[in-house]
Amino acid sequence: MEADELLVLVAGGDQKAFEELYGLVSGPVFGLVRRVVRDPAQSEEVAQEVLLELWRSAAKFDPGRGSALSWILTLAHRRAVDRVRSARAAVDREQREARRAHHPAFDQVTEEVEAGLEREWVRRCLDRLTALQRQSVTLAYYDGYTYREVAERLSLPLGTVKTRMRDGLTQLRKCLGGVA
Amino acid sequence: MSLLARLLRREDLHSLAAPYALDALESGERYRFEKHLSTCDSCAAEVRALSEDAARLAWSTAAPPPAAMRDRVLAAVRATPQAPSPIPEHTPQLPPHVWGTQPPPSRTRAPRERRPFFVPLATATAAAALVVASLFAVQARQTQDKLDAAQSQSREINHVLAAPDARAATGKDTEGRSIGVIASASEGRAIVTLSGYAEPPSGRVHQLWQMRPHAQPRSLGLFKQGDTPLVATGLNKSATSLAVTVEPDGGSAQPTSQPIVQLALKSLGFGE
Repeated sequence: MEADELLVLVAGGDQKAFEELYGLVSGPVFGLVRRVVRDPAQSEEVAQEVLLELWRSAAKFDPGRGSALSWILTLAHRRAVDRVRSARAAVDREQREARRAHHPAFDQVTEEVEAGLEREWVRRCLDRLTALQRQSVTLAYYDGYTYREVAERLSLPLGTVKTRMRDGLTQLRKCLGGVA
Repeated sequence: MSLLARLLRREDLHSLAAPYALDALESGERYRFEKHLSTCDSCAAEVRALSEDAARLAWSTAAPPPAAMRDRVLAAVRATPQAPSPIPEHTPQLPPHVWGTQPPPSRTRAPRERRPFFVPLATATAAAALVVASLFAVQARQTQDKLDAAQSQSREINHVLAAPDARAATGKDTEGRSIGVIASASEGRAIVTLSGYAEPPSGRVHQLWQMRPHAQPRSLGLFKQGDTPLVATGLNKSATSLAVTVEPDGGSAQPTSQPIVQLALKSLGFGE
């Protein structure tokens, strides 16, 4: 069964459907949260909160407004970004730089990519973006930086970053072949 | 505002669609954009498409979660009631510890320090009731378009409520208007509601400020509608009070008028 149908069953209190949904989405949710949050213990905590939220709030999903997977991953991403930003606010700037120098945004993506058609495809499509499009998109999405922070890091005007993000996402859509 | 200024501002807001889809807006901006989104069908469609694109990026990061997580989540599911369907979408459950009647729940991340737990019960209850009441008022007005914004806000609110050191306070002025706050010093977050204040005149907004000794006021965001709770993040532990001023549309970098209301944060565990 697809995530969309499962979510509808889950909204009706079906625990078996939730188990099936868990099997389908826990990997993407956990992987995404871990990519953004990085700290393993905190990633697990956030991923658990997100999955439980799916159970609690399944009724809020509106199939007319997009796919279930996109809804679920949007929720997971928002939570992960919130967590990483509040943690980051507490971390000293130098420390942050040092840590980042250790894990450049894009290399780590490449590193984490394993076999799998969708993964390989996303990676290829990211490779096809211009460097600035790719960096703008990945610093925001995978590292949880605001577009202001991205502009600062890349020494670009705010307007340019916003445009690169938009162009980057639309290029990805073309490359990936439209909405999943 | 002149037509040109309005168009420019609209244009400017439009350009935030991609950063919004990537969750790359600061909370204040996110809020303003979501407000705009509820009145702009073309933006909503664009955001929807861009969000689908962003979600595709998630697929390249999928990784198997620890096996024990499954058991924990499924156990939690069996013990957790579901929220009823969309409207009212998220009845805020006030955990007992916010009311000061039970010890705070344990958490993996312990708060930096333990203070004797104390909430003046009447005050806490009043503030909590205020927050809940305004949430309901908001939810009654919800249209489907506004749900997303409300959902993210409910999450923020639940997050504050779940903090072990969440405490509540209210301030009333001589005319019976009040400000209600539930805050967590360890999280640096607060939910703030205004009650009884008239909507600011057209082209003006209510703006919330963090006041701190020897520091300039820092904006914590703009109130959406008179009674919509504002979720403030990044509160400093040494903050001594919250203040609300009336500012030109879009907010100011620094307050340009006297506060209409101010609330001390000492009883909420701040000010050190």
